[in-house]
Amino acid sequence: METLITLIQIAIGAALINNFVLHYFVGICPFLGVSRRIDTAFGMGCAVTFVISIAATLSWVFTYFILRPGAPLPAWIWQMAGGDASTQVNLSVLSYIVYIFVIAASVQFVEMYVRKFFPALYKSFGVFLPLITTNCAILFACLEIMKHLQDPMRLWALPEALTLAVGGGVGFTLAIVLMAGIREELDACDVPKPLRGPGIALIVAGILAMAFMGFAGVDRGIQSTLNAFLH
Amino acid sequence: MLTTVTMLLAAGVLGLLAVIVAYVLGWANYTFHVKVDPKIVAITDALPGANCGGCGYVGCGEYAEAVAAGRAELNLCAPGGSGCAEKLAQIMGVEVGQSLPYRAVVHCAARRDQRLGQTVYLGEPTCVAANLVGGVQGCTYGCLGLGDCVAACPYDAIHIVDGLSTVDYDKCVGCKNCARVCPRNIITMVPFKAERMLVVACSNKDFGPEVKEVCEVGCIGCKACSKNAELMSIENNLPIIDYDAYESEEQFAKAREKCPRESMILVGKPSPKDLAAVAGEKLPDRVEADFKTTVDDTEWRG
Repeated sequence: METLITLIQIAIGAALINNFVLHYFVGICPFLGVSRRIDTAFGMGCAVTFVISIAATLSWVFTYFILRPGAPLPAWIWQMAGGDASTQVNLSVLSYIVYIFVIAASVQFVEMYVRKFFPALYKSFGVFLPLITTNCAILFACLEIMKHLQDPMRLWALPEALTLAVGGGVGFTLAIVLMAGIREELDACDVPKPLRGPGIALIVAGILAMAFMGFAGVDRGIQSTLNAFLH
Repeated sequence: MLTTVTMLLAAGVLGLLAVIVAYVLGWANYTFHVKVDPKIVAITDALPGANCGGCGYVGCGEYAEAVAAGRAELNLCAPGGSGCAEKLAQIMGVEVGQSLPYRAVVHCAARRDQRLGQTVYLGEPTCVAANLVGGVQGCTYGCLGLGDCVAACPYDAIHIVDGLSTVDYDKCVGCKNCARVCPRNIITMVPFKAERMLVVACSNKDFGPEVKEVCEVGCIGCKACSKNAELMSIENNLPIIDYDAYESEEQFAKAREKCPRESMILVGKPSPKDLAAVAGEKLPDRVEADFKTTVDDTEWRG
């Protein structure tokens, strides 16, 4: 039960309270670029969620078994080479290059898959699907997971990492769909000429971010409610 | 010892990762292969791949598709320049020099004092508003002269001269913005086969007597031109010039001579005769914009 509460906390934290776009300001490029129509925005959100889940799973595997300090694989090889068991082999310098590699590869994979099976979605993404490769939201999720794999006493298992990734992806989808809804309505509004286009989009994004600040502290309330409910 | 093992491990991990990813992606590329038009591939290769969006499409890929489908012009790629346009033309099997420059033409020649039945208009000073009101001037087809087209032109190529929209053909690039905003639809795009083109400078579809009531210069639909030039026909009391067969203004010399109202005018570059006529007059020099800030000439006394 404790695990479930932790997972719910992680999910809500990633989706609402510490929303990737509106709290950390990562993934702004597709957030502003593909938020003109709700259906395209929703497709983009789903693609990011999908890629983020794959990338997070792969990077958790690599980090847990190879990259983190005290990972099993390097330790085993170290001892096979006749090393001292008390010294740790630390490969965390490789984390960035491995994450970028994994993200780029999974985006390539998703692009080919979508192109084959969902041509309409592929068309509506246009140039933005390859741009997910350099989407900082995904690298951010990987680095966030790496942060929780540093301390050997409190290691994140795969479910936690995956929850963070899916929660972050859902939060991204929520933010971009909200933004697209507002921008669709904005087309019918009399926006002052100098603010049209990117100007008003950034202002709207800022107001949206302020609105999301209202979620701060919700996780503590949810935790106490769940605890009271369970015990 | 530790350093050596770490280095070897790092190299091994990355190498292994590269092999696995290459294998998976290669398999996916083979399994999820989509057949695309070889033309699109060739065009994508010929484009610079900068994805700048200057052509009006989201990226080079989308522009390539539009070109292959015949939906886009070949010379839209600014980074690629004319070399790129030639390559695209080769791929598409057409000649790049075929397209004629289209320029805006105002089909009205009545200046302010030549329009009859005018009333004082004090409303919103736009053609759209004045067109709704009605009765601003007698002619319900002609130019209102309130300058919606001037505001719409991004190239400063159309101006109101004596109450009539006049195109400056040195500046016009044929973007159609003026034609789009004109509420009376009297601006059309004409293919400029020569530097000067003959156009019909009236849009009034009424019969002669009614036109004479509202305008001093408008076309009365007398058919004198269509009888004297093969390329002209009359429709809705207005002459129509067949621009597909148009070769030179000489074809219309007799028709112009017979026209009682001088409804056909030449637009475009001035003829040598016109230039000679004003050669003696002293014209004001063109003022070039001087891009300087106010501090450029200020002496620094720091």
